[in-house]
Amino acid sequence: MAASITIFRAKKILTMNPRAPAATHVAVRDGHILGAGDLADLSVWGAHRLDERFADKVLMPGMIEGHCHSMEGSVWQDNYVGYYARRGPDGIERPALRSIEEVVDHLRRVEAEMGEGEDAIIAWGFDPIYFNGPRMTAADLDRVSQRRPVVVVHASFHIINVNSVVLQRANISADTDVMGIMKGADGEPNGELQGMPARFLALGAIGRDHFEEMGKKESLWRFARSAQLAGVTTATDLANALPETTIANLKAVTGDPDYPLRIVPAFLGLSCPAAEGAVKMRALSEQSSDKLRLGLIKLVADGSIQGFTARLKWPGYFNSSANGLWYIDPDRIADTLAVYHEAGLQVHIHTNGDQATETVLDAIEQVLTRLPRPDARFTLQHCQMAHEAHYRRMARLGVCANLFANHLYYWGDQHVEQTMGPERAARMNATGTAKRLGVPFAIHSDAPITPLAPLFTAWCAVNRKTVSGRILGEAERISVEDALSAVTLGAAYTLKLDGELGSIETGKRADFAVLDADPLAVGAEGLKDVPVWGTVLGGRVFPCADIAGGL
Amino acid sequence: MAAAGPIPLSVIGGFLGAGKTTLLNRLLQGASGIRFAVIVNDFGDLAIDGDLVADHGGDTITFANGCLCCTMGDSLLSTLNDLARRDDPPDHIVVEASGVADPRQIADVAVLHPGLVRDLVLVLVDADTICERARDSRLKETVIHQAEAADMIVLNKCDLASEQHIADARAWAAEQAPRAALLETAHARIAIERLLTLDSGHGIGNGPLRAPAVAHIGHAHDHANQFSSAVVILEAPLDLAALRGVLNDLPPSILRAKGFVSSREDPSRLHLVQLSGRRLRIEPWPVAARAGVVPPRRGRVFVGTPDMPPAAGLTRRLGA
Repeated sequence: MAASITIFRAKKILTMNPRAPAATHVAVRDGHILGAGDLADLSVWGAHRLDERFADKVLMPGMIEGHCHSMEGSVWQDNYVGYYARRGPDGIERPALRSIEEVVDHLRRVEAEMGEGEDAIIAWGFDPIYFNGPRMTAADLDRVSQRRPVVVVHASFHIINVNSVVLQRANISADTDVMGIMKGADGEPNGELQGMPARFLALGAIGRDHFEEMGKKESLWRFARSAQLAGVTTATDLANALPETTIANLKAVTGDPDYPLRIVPAFLGLSCPAAEGAVKMRALSEQSSDKLRLGLIKLVADGSIQGFTARLKWPGYFNSSANGLWYIDPDRIADTLAVYHEAGLQVHIHTNGDQATETVLDAIEQVLTRLPRPDARFTLQHCQMAHEAHYRRMARLGVCANLFANHLYYWGDQHVEQTMGPERAARMNATGTAKRLGVPFAIHSDAPITPLAPLFTAWCAVNRKTVSGRILGEAERISVEDALSAVTLGAAYTLKLDGELGSIETGKRADFAVLDADPLAVGAEGLKDVPVWGTVLGGRVFPCADIAGGL
Repeated sequence: MAAAGPIPLSVIGGFLGAGKTTLLNRLLQGASGIRFAVIVNDFGDLAIDGDLVADHGGDTITFANGCLCCTMGDSLLSTLNDLARRDDPPDHIVVEASGVADPRQIADVAVLHPGLVRDLVLVLVDADTICERARDSRLKETVIHQAEAADMIVLNKCDLASEQHIADARAWAAEQAPRAALLETAHARIAIERLLTLDSGHGIGNGPLRAPAVAHIGHAHDHANQFSSAVVILEAPLDLAALRGVLNDLPPSILRAKGFVSSREDPSRLHLVQLSGRRLRIEPWPVAARAGVVPPRRGRVFVGTPDMPPAAGLTRRLGA
């Protein structure tokens, strides 16, 4: 007997299939799409059950977040103290905290509810770049508690503030001569820890390991809830050293039919010698399932632009900061790429600054000359500063770009005033150029760096508006249709999953985002506010309402 | 087994091809009886001879390359935590930093970590190519950061470099790291075991003052004049604050010093003085009588480049 067919009726279905962009019904069997059209078109498939629950909803392909981190799941066990309101994976919105005082007050309330004991208070998302005025100090956090360790992790995750309890436990004093321990006018450490050694040892002193937390099942569940609330059905974890426990946990959660997300983890290609990594990932790729795709490799070439660690070409940083850091020897990129490429694995490379992008394109060109392989689909992740000439090369080399559109909004003003100056800031995350020159592209959030919400990311690429309301590079704006394509088929293409995901048409997996409004009808400005009702993953319905407060 | 003391940690830095792995393999061959944990962050063409490490009862461990703030820091730290917590910890940890890592950040972990003590940061540079790299807009900052982090810069591959290149490299290193000792060699031939704290950690209570290879009072050369050493005997109690000042002002040609002094405030109490990697530590010696342990002799061994001050000069500086 043939498996049962369900036909979902919707107010409108945006299919992303250029031959039939709109439909009202979609037929699903075995977790896959039989077809989209109207009821008469689909009835020919035979007996079916008509599901009318989406009759007033709009369906689009389940959105694909091409660059986020499973850490989006682990951070929410701690207290969010960011400058912007942000919804957690429980569906509850955390308030915006607009000053150091508001952050301290918030944490004092958290403390008051904790009862006895000396459990640490950990907060994240703090972003003093938006405050004009004094920096947070240990004295501020001592007002939260003088008994418990208190740690506030900045939005960049590269700086933390701690209270005196943590300073004592980590043996940090006026005499400690280590880079990155900020000191006050009195020579005493003021609680701000910038360097890796101080930061990690402070976290170690309170028994917290961010990377271990990331791979836990609870974290992976929160990650999936966060995605579901945003209409995302497939998300990357970019990247992960993929230790055995993490692999086991990934297999366990994705094997649960109630788990609402497909995960594409990328292996951190520099976490071991490349030859070992290639063997490991060849073997792991055989263990992929429909909800867990293993085999992608990620390399990181440089740092971040707002952290002044991206590698820039002349004239460098607008505020004259020193040039940034390489995380891989630039003369060794080609050899490392070649090892993974030759093993038949796809490689994504993080490049933020234009010098990093150029150096990596040189390396890709060398590798493809030496080891030609059609459709290797190297993808540059972030690729924020690529120049038009770089895009022309990318088009010729078949290289994709996954652009960090959310940066335009959150740090666009800082890019104009501090990092890039006006002209280069206007060409950042050049979706318009990518589109015009035929470079396949996606756009992303890098969650938890910025919120996991592809409709907001699409809004950024369409409007290119900064926090202050400035328009950053009007010529690089793209249409709503192109932006929606970037967060569905575009991202699927960068992951080589465009044959099975990213559009609503015969043969693809039945993954949908269920929306309360039509993103094409709300206009460019309204895109970010389109409510997400839930998702459908492999034909199974996951309403957001089931989550609310239920974690 | 003696109570665990902090484990000394040294960092070997330098760009791709500077000779880091060769140097490490030499160290492992040269220092018998010492258990090293070698942490490799640079996955180059040459490999550390893992058998050599194992022969010493030690381990070779790799850790993730990448952003020191993220994955790499985590990977390094968890590795170090594991080593420090072992029942049979190594005598010395050597980290081979990647060609783009800042060795200072790695050494700083040892400064902060209660189970570790920072020892030497040695940076190798290829004398033939360093000036070219220092002009390369892609590599300039990386090689400068490395030089700035060094206690000691070794100009390697001097056999391949022209006189002019060596002179330029020397000038560049002196400009980037005026406080660092400078040494010239080929094939990474450095008696690095002479520079590392290899008699600390677990052996701290047991071992006698480790004299130079040729243990006599005065000035000794070894390893083809690569290093000099001097032994200074200081029987009279010293003012520790003044000693601190003198030792901090020693010229960069002094690479290492270790020994015992008694303080003027309490002449019956010995203090262990160690200068390593430009870091000075003076700490009271736990004299709690242990049967069969001969109290260490007062005095200090200095190791340095051949142009270091002679024993007599050192004695004069120390006011003994």
